[in-house]
Amino acid sequence: MDKADPFIRARGIGKHFGGVTALADVDMDIREGEVLALLGDNGAGKSTFVKVLAGAHQQNEGVLEVAGRSVVFASPQDAAGSGIATIFQELALSDNLTVTENIFLGRELTTKVAGFPILRRAEMRRRAIALLQELEAHIPDPDRPVAGLSGGQRQAVAICRALNINARLVIMDEPTAALAVAETRKVLTLVRRLAERGCAVVLISHNIADVMAVADRMIVFRRGRKIAETTRPDTHAEELVSFITGAHPSLRVLEQAH
Amino acid sequence: MKNPHHRSLLLLATLWLVMLLIFVLIRPAILQLSMAESVLHFSSMLALVGLGQALLILSGAGMDISVGGMVSLTAILTMMAVQAGVPAALIPLLALVIGLCLGLVNGVLVISCRLLSLIATLGTMFAYGGLALALTGGATVSGVPGWLLPWGRGTLLGIPAHFLTTVMPAYLIAAAVLALTPLGRWILAMGNNERSARLVGIPVGRIRFILYGVSGLLSGLAALISLAWFGSGRPDIGTNMELESLAAVLLGGVAIAGGRGGVGGVLAAVLLVVGLQAGLQYLNISSSWQLGVVGLLLILALLSDRLPWRFAKRV
Repeated sequence: MDKADPFIRARGIGKHFGGVTALADVDMDIREGEVLALLGDNGAGKSTFVKVLAGAHQQNEGVLEVAGRSVVFASPQDAAGSGIATIFQELALSDNLTVTENIFLGRELTTKVAGFPILRRAEMRRRAIALLQELEAHIPDPDRPVAGLSGGQRQAVAICRALNINARLVIMDEPTAALAVAETRKVLTLVRRLAERGCAVVLISHNIADVMAVADRMIVFRRGRKIAETTRPDTHAEELVSFITGAHPSLRVLEQAH
Repeated sequence: MKNPHHRSLLLLATLWLVMLLIFVLIRPAILQLSMAESVLHFSSMLALVGLGQALLILSGAGMDISVGGMVSLTAILTMMAVQAGVPAALIPLLALVIGLCLGLVNGVLVISCRLLSLIATLGTMFAYGGLALALTGGATVSGVPGWLLPWGRGTLLGIPAHFLTTVMPAYLIAAAVLALTPLGRWILAMGNNERSARLVGIPVGRIRFILYGVSGLLSGLAALISLAWFGSGRPDIGTNMELESLAAVLLGGVAIAGGRGGVGGVLAAVLLVVGLQAGLQYLNISSSWQLGVVGLLLILALLSDRLPWRFAKRV
């Protein structure tokens, strides 16, 4: 694969639920090492698009290529197998398990003893510490249950889980929605670090300030369509908001066309 | 006591001490080796049934109210099969297979048909227990061969043979699976947060289905012990086991909502419940009171989970 080729190439993606068109004719390239923000009002289609990427929905129309190969994901596990990890809004951690156990949940390292898979606790702990250090996530003890962690620390655990499956694309759904200001800064730093590590990051956010702080490229959805694509140097917060609300002058023509 | 699991185990240890103290104050002669042996003897069936119950509750699959009915019906069906001409040598296998099948029926109802576990197993409790009574008219079914009886009545190294050969290996295996294998992590994870377990690809439904089968298998093993012990199949042998096993599981520190606890505490709680009943028996207190005490313990166990303990601060 050429370095300039995008990791994900989506062309003409459409999705209907009964008679309702949730997504129509969406083209998108997602590149490694880049943070791509998806913006849009509630019901604009960004979440539906991400669910197609993550394997939670299957597109009705269009072609999805991952690393040059055309794919249709039947399940989130399928998507994970292609290197796509999703960090859900509710984070999906098991509060009763430790940081290490959560990072490796469902993908535990084992060694066979008399034919039975036995957990390799020390090795998993060592790798968990390495991942946490690489992200500079300040989690003092990987042996503590995640129940006691702050929102930002929980994000870090979820990101470590994605890194642990060698994800090449990490999708983050509203990662800062429930966080305090200081915690939000930490999570945004984590997002940048993921991209610097060579991951593609797709970020869904309602917070324009977060998006302006961390995203390289922005795509705006409205009524199931992609209506704008821009980069950070080329835009500003007010313009993004006007795209989202439909007030931007360039949209008037579009709205009449559909 | 920051950890609620430690709190439950502390409650369990306290209850043990209180029980011993009361019995010793009333009747010091109660502390004898033969008493300990008979407590172990009476514990085996409840310990096995309680283990299945504990694993189900840990995994968040809900509870299995039908365990007593499964034990009764398995004992009856096994002996009826023998009376109908099935070789007596097959009794052990028969009891295990019948128990497994009855357990898998629960699995189908709860996992495949998505019925509420409490309601589905309440239904099978009446169905199994009622069937056991209806098939026999309430009479015992004889015909247990003599070679099986020493295992049900004898001791090895001072420990009842069936306790040594079933309860101890079963609890050791369960403890090892929970502590050392991925399956153990998955059971705890799905008990705490089913959605997150599904999202990381853990086959939640399949594991819970298998655990209902395990609960049936252990009930079948308990039925086998009852046959070897009493020499006949009794249609009421499993009566009240659902209440007692639930009390033991919760007293043993397993959270009713799932995801927290271990099997060691459950075994200790089984011994507590049975020890209490045996002690009351020794003091000639009627068995109706024994059941009432078990009910009280059950409520106490649930309260220990709920009460905002003054010194228990969240981490």
